[in-house]
Amino acid sequence: MIKQKKKGLYLSDRPPLTPLKTILLAISYILLFAYVFVILWPLAQIVLSSFNGSQSQYIRIGGTYQFSFKHFKFLFEEKPFLKWVINTIVIAVATALLTLLFVSFTGYAYSRYRFKGRKASLMAIMLIQTIPTFVGIAAFYTLHSIISAAIPGFSRQMFLVLIYAGGGIASNTFILKGYIDSISTELDDAARIDGCGNFQVYRLIIMPIVRPMLAIIALWSFIGPFLDYMLPSIILGDPEQYTLATGLYTLINDSRNMHQPAFAAGGLLTALPIVILFIALQKQLVSGLASGAVKG
Amino acid sequence: MKIQLNNIGKKYEGRENFTIRNIDLEIDDKDFCVILGPSGCGKSTLLRMIAGLTSITEGDLFFGGKRMNSVEPKDRDIAMVFQSYALYPHMTVYENMAFSLKMRKERKSVIHERVLEAAELLQITEYLYSKPSEISGGQRQRVALGRAIVRKADVFLMDEPLSNLDAKLREHMRVELVRLHQSLETTSIYVTHDQTEAMTMATKIVLLDQGKIQQVGSPTLFYEKPANLFVAGFIGSPTMNIFRGKIKHGHFLSSEEDFVIEPKAKDRELLKPFEGKKVAMGIRSERFIAGKADKNAINVKVDVIEMLGKEQLLYCQFPNGKECVISEPGYFEYAVNEEHNFHLDIEGLHFFDEETTERIN
Repeated sequence: MIKQKKKGLYLSDRPPLTPLKTILLAISYILLFAYVFVILWPLAQIVLSSFNGSQSQYIRIGGTYQFSFKHFKFLFEEKPFLKWVINTIVIAVATALLTLLFVSFTGYAYSRYRFKGRKASLMAIMLIQTIPTFVGIAAFYTLHSIISAAIPGFSRQMFLVLIYAGGGIASNTFILKGYIDSISTELDDAARIDGCGNFQVYRLIIMPIVRPMLAIIALWSFIGPFLDYMLPSIILGDPEQYTLATGLYTLINDSRNMHQPAFAAGGLLTALPIVILFIALQKQLVSGLASGAVKG
Repeated sequence: MKIQLNNIGKKYEGRENFTIRNIDLEIDDKDFCVILGPSGCGKSTLLRMIAGLTSITEGDLFFGGKRMNSVEPKDRDIAMVFQSYALYPHMTVYENMAFSLKMRKERKSVIHERVLEAAELLQITEYLYSKPSEISGGQRQRVALGRAIVRKADVFLMDEPLSNLDAKLREHMRVELVRLHQSLETTSIYVTHDQTEAMTMATKIVLLDQGKIQQVGSPTLFYEKPANLFVAGFIGSPTMNIFRGKIKHGHFLSSEEDFVIEPKAKDRELLKPFEGKKVAMGIRSERFIAGKADKNAINVKVDVIEMLGKEQLLYCQFPNGKECVISEPGYFEYAVNEEHNFHLDIEGLHFFDEETTERIN
C-alpha cells in the first residue's frame, strides 16, 4: 500500500514536463546516444579486430571472424613489445614521481612564501609554457650532450623523463599553487603552534588535504609518456628503447611491415596500465576533503 | 606565566607605517586578558606576535622573564584557538586533539588520557571519531578548544573564537570559556572586537585603536572611568551619550546653550582649569532620571523606542535636533512623539577635554 502511494507522488525537484519539453528531452537523448556511438564504435572495432584471427595486414570491417590471440602472440614474439611496455612504465613512473616531488615543493612555496621574484618567476613559467616542446629539440640535443659528458651513464630515456617532468612541473605548479591557496593559512599556523616545522606542515597537513589534486597530477604525468609519439621517436634511436606509442607506430608507418590488427592489439594492452592506475587512484581522486577545515 | 611586552612594534613588509607600535603591556599569571579594538587596529597582529606566527619588528617579548622574540611558536609552550577553528580536515576529532601531543612524542597512553579528559570536559566524547566536516559549527568550536586544552600549555591564546557562533551559543560559550580558564589556571589572552565579550570575560581589558593602547584595566574601570572619548564611545551598549559644550562659571553649558549642568563639587574642582574651554560631557543612558527637576534637567521628544523587556531604550531628540539615548525600566509607559522631562545624575557624568580627548574627572 505504501508502494502504491509512492507511485502516485511526483518526487522530482524539477517541474513536470510539458509535451514540448518531452520532445526536446528526446532530441537531447538521441544526440547523446549518437555521440556515444561515435566514440564507442571505433573502440569496439579495435577490440574486435585485435582478437580476429582471419585478418592479417589490414583491418577490414566485415568478413569472416575467427577468435584468436595470434596478433598478441605476434606482438610478444616478433616484436619487442614487452620491452616497450617496461620502457614506457619506467619512464611514466619516473616522470610521475619526479613531477610530484617537485610540484609539491614549488606549489607549496609559491602559495605560502613571499620572496623576491615570486611574481616574475611565476609569470616566466607561464610564458614559457606557450612555447611548444618540439621547438626546444635543438636545445634538448645540446643539453643532452652536455649532461652525458658530465654523467656518462645518462641514457636517452632518462633525458626523456627530464623533458616530460620539466614540462609537467611548470604547468602543474600553477594548478597546485591555486589549490593550496584555497586552504586557510590558519591551518599552517595551527600546525606550527602544535609543533610542526616547515616541512612537517606540508607533509602532515597540506599534503593530505591536496591529495586529490596530487593524484590527478600523478595521473596526468603518468599518462603523458603513453600518449606521446613524437619526442621518443626523435630522441630514442634504438627500437629496443622505444616507448609503446613509438613502438606501435612502427607497425603502421610502413606498407612493407604493416600490421594493423597487431597495432589494435597493442593499443588495447596500452590502455591496461592506465586503467589499473585509474582504479587504484579512484579513492584519492575524490575531492572535497578540504570542506570542514574552516567553518563553512 | 607572566607575559611582558616592552615597546613592541610591527611593521609589515611593503607597508609604509607601523601597524602597531610602542606597546607596553604586562599580563599577570592567570590573567584573562582581552585585547579589544575595532577591526584593523592591530589586535590580531599583536596576538600573532605573542604566538610567534608573526615576527616582532621592534621591542621585546618576555614569557616569565625569558625573552621570546626569536623562539619558534612550537617552543613557546602556547596553545591557540583560531577564528576559523583551523581543524585539520583529514583527521578525526580525536586525531586533531592528539596531534600536538603526538608531535611532542608523548606516550600513547598519556595522549589517550588527555584527549578523553578534554573531550569529557567539553562534552564532545561522542564525536571523537567523526571528521570535522561531519559535525556542527558549535561542536567544531569545542574541538578547537579541546585541541588547545590537551596541551596544558602555559599560555592560552584565542583569536575571536566565538565570532562564528550564533548569538545563543556565543552567550553560553562565554561562560564556558571563563570556567575553563579558571579550571586550567593558565594565562589567557583573548582577542575580540566585541565589547560585550570583553566586559563579561576579562579580568583585564586592553583597548587598542590605530595601533596604540587606549586604556588598560578592569571591565569596571572601563565602564566607570573611560580614559578618553574613544574608550567612552567604544565600551558600553548603548553607546554613551556625548554632549559637546564648554565650561562657564564652573558649569557645563552645551554648545547650543540649550541646557546647563552643574557638576558635583569634586568634578567642579577638576574642571576649574578648563573654564571657558571646550569640553565634552558623557553620560550613560541609564544615568538619566525620569521626572522634572530644578537643576540639570532636559526636555526631549521620544523618537524611537526599543523595547528590550527589562528596560527600554528611548532614542530622543532635543528641540534643536540633537539626539540622545535614555534607558528606563520596561514598565514605564512611553510613546513615540511624546515630550518628557529627565534630569541627569551628576554622579554619572564623564568630562573629556575636547582638544586631547583625554578624561578630566
